[in-house]
Amino acid sequence: MKHQKIIVEAENWFKQHGWKPFPFQKETWNAWLNGKHGLLNAPTGSGKTFALWVPIALSLKHYPGKTRSENTGVKAIWITPLRALSLEIAQATREFAQGLELDIEVGIRTGDTSQKERAAQRRKMPDLLITTPESLHLLLSSKNYEKQFRNCRAIVADEWHELLGSKRGVQTELALSRLKTLCKDLRIWGISATIGNLEQAREVLLGPGSTALENSVMIKAELRKKIKVSSIIPEAMEKFPWRGHLGIHLLDEVIPILKASRSTLLFTNTRAQCEIWFQAILSKYPEFAGEIAMHHGSINKETRLWVEQAIRNDSLKAVVCTSSLDLGVDFAPVETIIQIGGPKGVARFLQRAGRSGHQPGKESKIWFLPTHAIELIEASALKKAVKEKAVEDRTPYLLCFDVLIQYLTTLAVSDGFYPEEIYREIRSTFCYQGITEEEWQWVLNFITMGSQSLREYDEYRKVEVMEDGLFKVNNRGVAMRHRLSIGTIVSDAMLTVKYMKGGYLGQIEEWFISKLQPGDVFTFAGRNLELFRIKQMQVLVKRSKKKTAKVPSWMGGRMSFSSQMSDLLRSELYLANDPGSQLSPELKALAPVFERQQRESIVPGPGEFLIETFKTREGYHAIFYPFEGRFVHEAMASLLAYRISLLDPISFSIAFNDYGFELLSDQVINIEQVIDNDLFSPSYLHSDLEKSLNATEMARRKFRDIGVISGLVFQGYPDKQLKSKHLQSSSQLFFNVFRDFEQDNLLYLQAFRETFEHSLEEGRLAQALERIRTQEVIWKNCEKPTPFSFPIITDRLREKLSSEKLSDRIRKMQIQFEK
Amino acid sequence: MTPTTAVFREHTFELHPYGAAFWKDRSMLLVADVHLGKTAHFRKNGMAVPEQAMYKAYEKLDELCAHYEPETLCFLGDLFHSYINNEWKLFQSWVRTAKTNLVLITGNHDIIPEHKLEKLNIEIKDEWELEEFLLTHEPTDHPELFNLCGHIHPGIRLKGPAKQTLKLPCFFQKEHQLILPAFGEFTGKYVMTPTKEDKVFAVTPEEVLLVSGE
Repeated sequence: MKHQKIIVEAENWFKQHGWKPFPFQKETWNAWLNGKHGLLNAPTGSGKTFALWVPIALSLKHYPGKTRSENTGVKAIWITPLRALSLEIAQATREFAQGLELDIEVGIRTGDTSQKERAAQRRKMPDLLITTPESLHLLLSSKNYEKQFRNCRAIVADEWHELLGSKRGVQTELALSRLKTLCKDLRIWGISATIGNLEQAREVLLGPGSTALENSVMIKAELRKKIKVSSIIPEAMEKFPWRGHLGIHLLDEVIPILKASRSTLLFTNTRAQCEIWFQAILSKYPEFAGEIAMHHGSINKETRLWVEQAIRNDSLKAVVCTSSLDLGVDFAPVETIIQIGGPKGVARFLQRAGRSGHQPGKESKIWFLPTHAIELIEASALKKAVKEKAVEDRTPYLLCFDVLIQYLTTLAVSDGFYPEEIYREIRSTFCYQGITEEEWQWVLNFITMGSQSLREYDEYRKVEVMEDGLFKVNNRGVAMRHRLSIGTIVSDAMLTVKYMKGGYLGQIEEWFISKLQPGDVFTFAGRNLELFRIKQMQVLVKRSKKKTAKVPSWMGGRMSFSSQMSDLLRSELYLANDPGSQLSPELKALAPVFERQQRESIVPGPGEFLIETFKTREGYHAIFYPFEGRFVHEAMASLLAYRISLLDPISFSIAFNDYGFELLSDQVINIEQVIDNDLFSPSYLHSDLEKSLNATEMARRKFRDIGVISGLVFQGYPDKQLKSKHLQSSSQLFFNVFRDFEQDNLLYLQAFRETFEHSLEEGRLAQALERIRTQEVIWKNCEKPTPFSFPIITDRLREKLSSEKLSDRIRKMQIQFEK
Repeated sequence: MTPTTAVFREHTFELHPYGAAFWKDRSMLLVADVHLGKTAHFRKNGMAVPEQAMYKAYEKLDELCAHYEPETLCFLGDLFHSYINNEWKLFQSWVRTAKTNLVLITGNHDIIPEHKLEKLNIEIKDEWELEEFLLTHEPTDHPELFNLCGHIHPGIRLKGPAKQTLKLPCFFQKEHQLILPAFGEFTGKYVMTPTKEDKVFAVTPEEVLLVSGE
């Protein structure tokens, strides 16, 4: 048996390195060789790379193409979500190929690939190509791409769980749908960490009802790794703040952990927090200089690579990082993880924990550092979640017309496409399985005529329909702008930070820099820098000796609790109220906070829904505590504010976090009215939500991505910002124009659908309202803010809702004069 | 819709919620930063702005002209946003039906050749001195004259009780200057920071409200 021979060959190579293949690796090899598609459920750094590369590479050796033309082009594609990972994967693959004397070329194609290398690849594609979803689409936008891909036998979507719940996942689905047609003998595999909906992950990857899905397997690595979760609990609870998100007050407690561990990763939730922690450790414990480093997505690539190498070499004691180090291959010396602030997801918490204790038999150690008192409840719930492996789902996107429009333009830019063929392909994907004939026609009409019938003055120009029915882009400007815009990650305009003398430091978001004046000092990449001037897209700086500096904030996505995590959180909280229960150390430590909460209001039990009202200098506050996670709270707050505003003209400012939400007004909020009128009713939920202004505002934000992805908004040429000025516009303006003139535009409607499905989580909201109906409403009119309310009322990110006349609102307002 | 009356150098002006100012004594309607041609320019480059957006500015201008019946309509710069495109044809036919004298003070975006505009009987000026007033596109300080201008697209941020905030377009008046809001639909705004001496007239869809000063 040839298969047996291949497996023995692989095992021998493992033996030479003193390794033994894991059962899941052998299982994957066998499945592969038997022609199966599949999904491999294995965590980061478990040897998953070899589970798939081994059979792919060896079967290339043992089953070469019969003719010359069967051996051209790329043979296998490895899709990875992070450019940074591609290097490590390539390295491992090359080692393996050399060890087995395979005549196989391994190449990388990402945004970092040089022009020279791209040109070389155009002449001759590597056999094994490691790439990102965006770069894969870029390849689909080049002429004669069919030739490059037709001998491809394997596609692996690595870290598929990361891609699944994003539009990059949709991009991957689309690329697969094309390659399934082009390649005669293609095997598709995904690799995913544990998520709640693994079966669905497989279906999305392979296509619902497809023959690939029928002929596929799910392989679970089942590596039993011990994870030890502890919380950092301050000695004196009085010192612990009621609000905040930095956690710096626990710095002294962190130091002994760093000292006791060979190497530690400190995960922060934002890049700003990362910069602050790095500075704080160094200024209070200067002895760590040279032994700690920082790693986040805005720091330049060389520095990041250096940090990663230094972790592997065991030359760093600690690294303060963000999700930028969530993925990636083995960091063997890391013994301990510290998570600063709530990770907002069990899967993410587990993944981070798994970055420590890599050697077989060692346990992973993770510390949770709460940034404010109430977060200790979260800590306690997280421990249970880890024990029960209560990981969340990653919800795949449906009917993303923006990504589809981008994709069709991509195909039109390369060799052109015939709609009948492509329609069949996209219908076979998970994302577009429900697309109707009308919607498809609308999309075609959009790219050819700008979504309307031809009119006298119109000279819309993008995709043209050729005589034989081929859809093609002929205009070079359109083609170039499109190639520059391929992708689905939309960020603010990024400026390059450079020393005046030269030397690249990284990238920073425009809106932060725009608030600074020349001479201002800010912290970036761990240094204090003085702004000299901004020239085009470059920020020129010099080093500053000033001690105080502004810290840039990056607009990272805010995560929300999953429903499982919310359940666990509520049951932890209810425990605190139950005198007979065994309390975790976290809850015990919270005793003084609970006592005070109880004195001023109550700690709600399982049958109770708490509402607190009080008055401060700012106005009248009403706080509601559903404990359902940020997204559900945002929706519920918006719904309730809208319903109250129907009773009387009133203006609200709305704040929310994972525990509850606040309505703030300059008028008394009549809670009796809320209860009497049954304003928490789940009836008319959808239409009320739609009418609440907030949904429009959220849709407007969603449209930011949609506008860019679909090519309505052009972000500009890199470093040539000025030239594109006449074509730049904000997606906000587009949104308004669609609202005023073209409300049936599918992109405009998509913004609302995404708002309801992904941000407002309408389904969960309905369930939460049902639950509240079964609870007794406890309304406490309090003297002053309670411990529970504090983190919410101090949140400055606020939504607005008003039923007052605009001019009445203006009359109550003031302008801010220059100081 | 309710305009607000304001007096500059003893001349009465009506500030209209559409973002136009009507100079009563001279029967002159002033608008700034119309940015015509933008819709067609975007569409020509493959960005599908709904075409109807193109007509809005003309509808608003027609409505204002019907209401005030001005002798002169003066554009304070940035009338046409792009090179000649098909929207130019629409503009031409609108000009032919206009019952008022048209004047354009040229702005930084006005790249249409002057003779093309003059052919339509539009008077072109770099700036215009009229009695005690100086009409320009960009804000210009003059030792004696009161400056009427555009260019900035002024907006104002308001703060109210209970953490309420609003951002609105505005007429922005300094001691010797009035900056008009952008008239065009498809434009952004720049948030101004007034001093105590400045007057700010916030523009809402319904009315124009003085939110500062006397």
